[in-house]
Amino acid sequence: MTTTRRCLNCITPPYILKKLLESGEEEIRQAALNTLISTAQLRGERAVRASFAGSAAAPANGRRTIFDCRNSRFLPQATLVRSESDPPVADASANRAFDAIGATRDFYKKVFDRNSIDNRGMRLQGYVHFATNYNNAFWDGQQLVFGDGDGRVFTDFTGSCEVIAHEFAHGVTEHTAGLDYHNQSGALNESLSDVFGVMVKQWTLHQRAAEADWLIGADVFTPNIKADALRSMKAPGTAYDNKLLGKDPQPDHMSHYVKLPDTEQGDMGGVHVNSGIPNRAFYLTAMGIGGYAWDAPGHIWYESLKASSPQTQFQEFADTTYLKAGQLYGAGSAEQQAVLAAWNEVGIRVSGVPGGAEALRVPVLAGRGDGLVHDGTPIPALIRQIEALAAQVNALAEGLSVLTPKP
Amino acid sequence: MKVTLATHGGQAAAINLRLPPRVVDAEALPQEAARELARLVEAAKTTQAVKEDGPGQARDALSYTITVEDVDRSTVLTQSDTTMSPAFAALLTWLERRLAME
Repeated sequence: MTTTRRCLNCITPPYILKKLLESGEEEIRQAALNTLISTAQLRGERAVRASFAGSAAAPANGRRTIFDCRNSRFLPQATLVRSESDPPVADASANRAFDAIGATRDFYKKVFDRNSIDNRGMRLQGYVHFATNYNNAFWDGQQLVFGDGDGRVFTDFTGSCEVIAHEFAHGVTEHTAGLDYHNQSGALNESLSDVFGVMVKQWTLHQRAAEADWLIGADVFTPNIKADALRSMKAPGTAYDNKLLGKDPQPDHMSHYVKLPDTEQGDMGGVHVNSGIPNRAFYLTAMGIGGYAWDAPGHIWYESLKASSPQTQFQEFADTTYLKAGQLYGAGSAEQQAVLAAWNEVGIRVSGVPGGAEALRVPVLAGRGDGLVHDGTPIPALIRQIEALAAQVNALAEGLSVLTPKP
Repeated sequence: MKVTLATHGGQAAAINLRLPPRVVDAEALPQEAARELARLVEAAKTTQAVKEDGPGQARDALSYTITVEDVDRSTVLTQSDTTMSPAFAALLTWLERRLAME
């Protein structure tokens, strides 16, 4: 029963349902109203779940522990410096790692109702001061590890919240899709870490998609280095261009996909290079939908991550995001159209969409970057529609109370 | 003896891809430093990394290729942040310190 109702919600776009509310036939009006109500209920349930999840972020779940490697390369030699209930310590790197890991944990809990990396409250362990002059941060399969940088080109990697969230996301990917770290699936793995990393950054800053810089590692370079960041999701290939580092090689379109050897020397087929393509698809989706990236775009990508497998390639992931957008927000919805347009712009045509890119020309996408327009409808008109809908719901409730037998 | 160090992968993998390997020439080192380098190289050659093909479960970890060129032979050692032996780590640390001084 429930399955059938959800399926109807997915297939009928909200704007058609609104039109049907004006039908002369009572039965059609009632069916449209029921569908709109259940859609609103589903969205409401998600919001309520998320708010409960936030308050339920008990310290027992995803407890943080920060260790100091004291410049060793071997984690068992590190010493404990800060635990979940401890106050800030003298070591600024340890505090930054502690705070950013906590913010990332809270983000997953409040936005996606996910309990830590494994969704089972996994303990979160961060290691700072790894090796000497270490220009990197990584996920070792169980823990997050951060270097201090050499102080000449790179600075402390705990200084970039999105870098910490990027490593955290590698753990989440391992516990969901487990995307193989080679070629396209590897680039998708990297991209998803950038996507969730940038969402954590925007969430902590409470930034709308249009207000954000969409940079990954904006704070990892010393002031002497002329570079914006390690990567730009908005404009892959433009994060840096100087004599020391060279030019950012990330492509922003499938026609510029970089073929590299599937070896450590070739970055496992360019996983940190070709991630620029799906990165830009997410950026375009977020801009097309408007508002906050962690709302509809984030939910579409998160559900797609969970639906992916180790071998998922760009095409399959694009198809999945389109499918998930339809399931979450309705077939033909502004959200689904934004996903379609985004992938199309990076050179990936979603499979099985009648007309392909032609389909984009019919329902014009109104980017809601300014928040004034949704799906081509001005917000005040939308509010009036919601008020009218609320009045009809009240009328229905009254009707129901009359019909309900009194004890 | 020439010892070459190349670094791969990591958060800055796209930058590391284009950086040339760095070289330490034992001939140009003070005698004591050259002897220390030879000792570290021999130790690294005889110890194995924790066996793992490719990146394993690690993501964004760095891997290192150290190439040792003697008069008559060349040896290539490749290990990563999560698999390296203590002997390899000692050689890597020594090389990085030396190269930072240049």
